[in-house]
Amino acid sequence: MSSILLALPSKGRLYEQMNKFFESSGIILKRSGGQRTYSGFIKGIEKIEIIYLSASEISSELLKGNIHMGITGIDLIEEGKTTASKEVILLSRLGFGKANVVIAVPDHWIDVENIRDLSEVSSEFRSYNNRRMRVATKFSNITRNFFQRNGINNYRLVDSAGATEGAPAAGTAEIIVDITETGQTIEANNLKVLEDGVMLKSEVCIFSSANDIWKDIDLKPVEKFLRIISARSEALGNAELFFDYTKEDKDLEINLFREFNSSFVNGSPNIGESVSLITPISMVPSCTYYLTSRGYGPVRTNRPEFIYNQESNSWNLLKNSINCI
Amino acid sequence: MIEETNKIIDSLGGTTALAKLLNVNLSAVSNYRKKGFPDRLHYKIATLCNERGIKIDGKIFGELSKNLPAVDTRPLEILSEISIKVIENLTEDDFELIDPPVLVSADKVLDRLGENIADKLYIFSDPSGSRLCLRPDLTIPTCIHYLNNGFDGIKKNYAYHGKVFQFQNPSSNEPNEFSQAGLEIIGGESCIENEIEVFYRTYKSIKQSGIKNLNIIFGDVSLFSILIDVLDIPAIWKDQLKIKFWNDKNFKILLEELTIKKRVNNQLFQKISSLDDDTAEIFVRDTIGLLENQSPVGRSIKEITQRLIKKSQEVKTEPLPKSTANLIKEFLSISDKPLQAIKKLKAVSKNIDSRLSSQIDSMSARIEMMIDLKVDLENSILSLEKGRTVEYYTGFLFDFNSSNLKNSQNIAGGGRYDDLINSVSDKNDIPAVGAAINLDRLEKIISLEKLI
Repeated sequence: MSSILLALPSKGRLYEQMNKFFESSGIILKRSGGQRTYSGFIKGIEKIEIIYLSASEISSELLKGNIHMGITGIDLIEEGKTTASKEVILLSRLGFGKANVVIAVPDHWIDVENIRDLSEVSSEFRSYNNRRMRVATKFSNITRNFFQRNGINNYRLVDSAGATEGAPAAGTAEIIVDITETGQTIEANNLKVLEDGVMLKSEVCIFSSANDIWKDIDLKPVEKFLRIISARSEALGNAELFFDYTKEDKDLEINLFREFNSSFVNGSPNIGESVSLITPISMVPSCTYYLTSRGYGPVRTNRPEFIYNQESNSWNLLKNSINCI
Repeated sequence: MIEETNKIIDSLGGTTALAKLLNVNLSAVSNYRKKGFPDRLHYKIATLCNERGIKIDGKIFGELSKNLPAVDTRPLEILSEISIKVIENLTEDDFELIDPPVLVSADKVLDRLGENIADKLYIFSDPSGSRLCLRPDLTIPTCIHYLNNGFDGIKKNYAYHGKVFQFQNPSSNEPNEFSQAGLEIIGGESCIENEIEVFYRTYKSIKQSGIKNLNIIFGDVSLFSILIDVLDIPAIWKDQLKIKFWNDKNFKILLEELTIKKRVNNQLFQKISSLDDDTAEIFVRDTIGLLENQSPVGRSIKEITQRLIKKSQEVKTEPLPKSTANLIKEFLSISDKPLQAIKKLKAVSKNIDSRLSSQIDSMSARIEMMIDLKVDLENSILSLEKGRTVEYYTGFLFDFNSSNLKNSQNIAGGGRYDDLINSVSDKNDIPAVGAAINLDRLEKIISLEKLI
């Protein structure tokens, strides 16, 4: 039986963030034969072979179906997709490397607020200037698909290797499509992101290729590995709230779920019990306010290290995709 | 010269024999005796002589070759009989057979066809760093041939055949390279006679190949844009409707929005609607924060100002009346046998505007010409939707289909694209109309028909 190829980013910030994630997950990565080699393994989990590649190589190898799993950004997967690509499954978000692919136009374009404006301007641009409006980007595929969906056809792409934000001022393009975490670089270059100009929300994730390379593979080690990954990544986005369930409230459970996407760890509570509730980090302030105003408290919060569910989402996703092959 | 021509005709077996060899009328050969061979035949005559061991005086051959146009030097013999017949039909009389470039500038192709075609192109860089691509069709290369010969508006009738290259999804089993033959009339007048010439030659070539099942779909995208032009609605809506015309889903959404949506007014619009053009430009310049000699990034003050003025007019306008929206919908939904469709068109658009009715009359005139030419219109329709999915044609267009083909595929297609030359060069619009036949598909269908 052959081993599973897992491709991990080999350098840069992505490499460091990933290492931090694995360390905190208790997964120990080892390089085979010294720090400088580009292959490795996971301590305690057999039959998973690690290869270190650049994030964009990982995306293209996944899309070609040459590797089983890989860690890379959603942006790179979306950008790499062609009509010839194999299916790629997002198994789990890892909670770092969050950034948006956005459309930005010069601040000077005071008549352009949204994509609809842009679509009109692009057509007018062609009649005024006798050429198509140029869009500087390194995300040609994502841009093309998005523009097509939105009925924008009067444009030309200009490949941009770096410093895309500078293109409009330099006169090599009129507008840009770029990836940004905070939007600061875009603003600093006198550009503005369109109201509905977020084309893609990207994040670093673990992906799998859905094709016949999974044939004759022992899946046990992957299950173990993915359970840890899901448990860790789920814990990263959530907080645990502790309080005493001191009085009956029939609607509490359903309201907590509906409004705060929160659920009790041990199912419906009984009077007098100390209960714990899993709540998304962003919901913690409003959820605790809700609980205290309903007369519960004190509410203590904790950040869990891992959340192991009976069912691991990413493992289920992988299993189902392999069954479909 | 004439003496030599006559010598060659006699060596090749005389008038009748040569007429047979060239598949032309007797009168054509007697014309050659008087006027000499037309340029397009030089290569073929030379080949015929060569095959028969007839020596042509080197000097004469030299003289011939000097006049030799850039003919397609790929021997016709390697093509199938069907293809040869199609090409001969296309090149009859005054259509010059040319051999347009295989490698073309990727930028020109993308300028012409838009970025949506990019995932079908074979793009690469040559050692000098120029971005090239294998031709995805023969229209753009023909256009480049026209421009390279320094023509600017003069009428040229071209015919061509050769391989074109388009990447296809591997699972579709469609070939990535296939043979096309076609025609282009570039330059001259933008008239329906040229359209019918191109259409009829294409029709005749396909018909004579022996295909049995053939449907023709006609359209004219200019009918829609004229309808929009003559409607009494704000200019900005006209622009929007014309832009979204090419994408049916977005078009329907827009039409719906125009009939209900309340448009947001803002200070910018309020202010600008009270100004004349010049003061409006000054106001826009101040709002952006530009000095007098500075211009905005990417667009001119005029562009931005004019658009703001249009937007501010839109704010003041009542929603699009439901009746107008319905008229547009009804207009676009017309799809019927040509004569019936024209009747419906006239009924829907009566009393709207004379510009529109004269465009409809042109469509009638085309159909009448086809009937005079005995074109079989039994299985044909005229559809106002035709041509909407590809932002390519500017007026009349046609598609040849077979019920033995998948819906999205055609055997041949063509039409008018007066913006063709403009989109690949810095020249202004030059009338152009053309058509291309997918030879591989045509043969596939014919052999399929033989099996059924």
